[in-house]
Amino acid sequence: MELFFQTLGVVLSPPHFVMLIAGVLMGLAIGILPGLGGIVGMTILLPVIYGMEVHSAFALLIGMVAVIPTSDTFPSVMMGIPGSSASQATIMDGYPLAKKGEAARALGAAFTASLIGGLFGATVLTIIIPIARPIVLVFASPELFMLALLGMSMVGVLSGQNPIKGFLAAGIGLMLGALGDAPAVPEYRYTFGFDYLMDGVPLVIVGLGLFAIPEIVDLLIKGRSISKVATLGKGWLDGVKDALNHKLIILRCSVIGVIVGFLPGLGGSVVDWIAYGHIVQTSKDRENFGKGDIRGVIAPESANNAKEGGGLIPTFLFGIPGSGSMAVFLGGLLILGIQPGPSMVTENVDLIYTAIWSLALANVFGAGLSILLSKPITRLTIIPFSYLAPFLVLIITFASYQASRNWGDLIALLFMGILGWIMKQYGWPRPAALIGYVLSDNLETYLFISVQRYGFSWLARPGVLALALIILASVTMGIFYQKKKSPGS
Amino acid sequence: MKKVAPNFNIIFSACLPVVFAYGVYESLSYMYLAKIFPLSISLVLFITALINLIQEIRETRTASGVTEIIDAGTADLESQWDIPMAQVWSKLLVYMAGILILYLFIWIIGYPLSITLFIILFYRYVTETGWIGAFIAGAAGMGFLALVSKLLTMDWPQGLIHLPWPLG
Repeated sequence: MELFFQTLGVVLSPPHFVMLIAGVLMGLAIGILPGLGGIVGMTILLPVIYGMEVHSAFALLIGMVAVIPTSDTFPSVMMGIPGSSASQATIMDGYPLAKKGEAARALGAAFTASLIGGLFGATVLTIIIPIARPIVLVFASPELFMLALLGMSMVGVLSGQNPIKGFLAAGIGLMLGALGDAPAVPEYRYTFGFDYLMDGVPLVIVGLGLFAIPEIVDLLIKGRSISKVATLGKGWLDGVKDALNHKLIILRCSVIGVIVGFLPGLGGSVVDWIAYGHIVQTSKDRENFGKGDIRGVIAPESANNAKEGGGLIPTFLFGIPGSGSMAVFLGGLLILGIQPGPSMVTENVDLIYTAIWSLALANVFGAGLSILLSKPITRLTIIPFSYLAPFLVLIITFASYQASRNWGDLIALLFMGILGWIMKQYGWPRPAALIGYVLSDNLETYLFISVQRYGFSWLARPGVLALALIILASVTMGIFYQKKKSPGS
Repeated sequence: MKKVAPNFNIIFSACLPVVFAYGVYESLSYMYLAKIFPLSISLVLFITALINLIQEIRETRTASGVTEIIDAGTADLESQWDIPMAQVWSKLLVYMAGILILYLFIWIIGYPLSITLFIILFYRYVTETGWIGAFIAGAAGMGFLALVSKLLTMDWPQGLIHLPWPLG
C-alpha cells in the first residue's frame, strides 16, 4: 500500500507529469482524427520511448491510450463519424442529439461517463493485482505457453465474424513474428536473402503499416464532406447530471468494458456495440434509442474507457494483450527492457502502480480538457482530412525509419500497408494479426523452454491439461455460436 | 451488411496456401529448435487456408458469379464505399503511385526535401490550397522534422545527392 502511494508521488513529479500531459494531449488529438486510434497512437510513440526512463515512458504511453476513447466522442457526436473504432455506437444517439442542438449535453454526459468508466477500470486493475499475484506465480513456461495459445485461439474466434479468417489472420501475424533470428539457435528464417529481415520486421512497421496506411488511404479515397457539423449548443451541466442520474448504467457498462478489455481478441471495435446492445436490451422504454436517447451515449462511453484498465490485466500479468493497442504496449514494454508476465508482480509492481495512476489521472485530465477545450476541439474536427494527410505521411514514414534506420523500413512499411489495406477491405481482422505478431516470440520461447526443461512431459502437467480443455471448449463454442448465427444473418 | 466485391478476395485467399506452403518448405531446412515452431504453425495454417479457399470458392459459385461477402464489421473499421469499386481501385493506384514517387525522390535527394515537396504538391493539387498556403505547410513540415530530429536525435534517409542540413 505504501508503494502504491509512493508511486503517485513519482507520477506527479514534474518530469513524469509533463510526459503524462504530453500523452494526454496527443491522445486527445489522435482521438479526434477520424480513423486513427490507440494502435496507431501507441506505435508512433514507440520510437520516442527508446532509452526513456521507464516511469516517464509509461506515463506517456498510458496517458495517450487512456484518453482516445474520451476525445473520439467529438467527431462521433458532432459529425456522425467515429473518431476511432471505440466510438461507433456513440453515433447512434449522440449525433441525433447534436442535430437537436444538444451536442453539449451529449458531450457532457459522454465525458462524465468516460471519466467514471476509466476510473472504474483503474480501480479493478488495482484490486486484481494483489489477488492475482499468488495465482500468477504458479505459472511456469508450459502454462504460459498454453495461456498464450488460449489468447491466440480467442483472438481467432472472437475477432471477426468468420472464425477461420480470424484464425488465419492471427496466423499471418505469427508467421510475421517468426521472421528473422530464431530465439533459441543462431538461425535466420525467411530472410529471402535480405539482411534487413535478419532482425525480423519491427513492431513499428507492422503497426503503422497494417493500421495507419489503410486508414489514411481510405479517408483520402472517401474524401468526406464536412457539411454536416452540428453546433455545440448549451447543456453541459445537464449532460453531467444525466450521467450521474444513470449511475447504474455506467457501472454495468464499465463492468462490460473491463471484461471485454480483458478478453484477447475483443478490442475497442466491439466494446461500444456490446454496451449499447446491452443497454437497449435491458431498458423497458426503448423507443427513443437511435433518436437521441442520452443512455445510448452514456453506455458505450463508459465501457470504452473502462476497457483499457481491463486490457492491462492480461498484458501485465501474463504478457498476453487484450487488444491491438495493448499488443503495441506489450512491444513497448519489451523496448523498455521489461519482460511482462509473472515477473511483473514480483519485480516491477511499482510499474504496474505507475500504470494505474497514469490511467486514472489521464482519464481525469482527458475529461477535464475535453470540456474546457471543447470549442477549439470542435473547430479542429471540421478540418478536412486532406489537410492532415501529408503530415500524417510525414509522421508515419519518419517514425518507421527510426525502427532500424534502414531503407528496408520504408519498403517494409509499404508492403505492410498494402497487406493492411487488403485485409481491411476483405474483412480479415487486422488486430488479430497484430496480436499474433506480438505473441509469436513469446509462444516460441515458452515452447522452447518447456521442451528443454520438461521434455514432452510438460504436456501432462495439470495446469496445461486444464488450459487445453478451456482452449478446446472456447474454440468449439466459438465455432458453434458462429455457425448458429451465420445462416440467418 | 452486404457488399459486392471483385474476386480480389479470392486471389488473396488463394495466395495464403502458397505462402504457408513455402513456410513449410523453407522451415524444413532449419535446425531442429529453429524449425519446430514455424513448421508446425505453417503446416496448420496451410490446411486452414485451403479450407478457407474452398469455402470462399463455394460461396462465390452459389452467388452466381458475383462474390457477396458479409462484413467482418465487428473486428475492424471496415471499408464501406459509396463510390463504384473501379473508382476506388483507380484512386488507390494513384495514391500508391504518389508514395512510390515520394520514395524515388527520397532515394535521390534525401528525406527532408522530398517530404517537403510532397507536402507542398499535395496541398496545391489534392487539398487545392493556393501556392502560399502550400509553401507554409511545406515549411511547417520541414520545421517539425528539423525540430524533432534535433530534440530526439532521430535520423532520416540520406539521398544519393548530399544536401546541407536540414535539407538532406
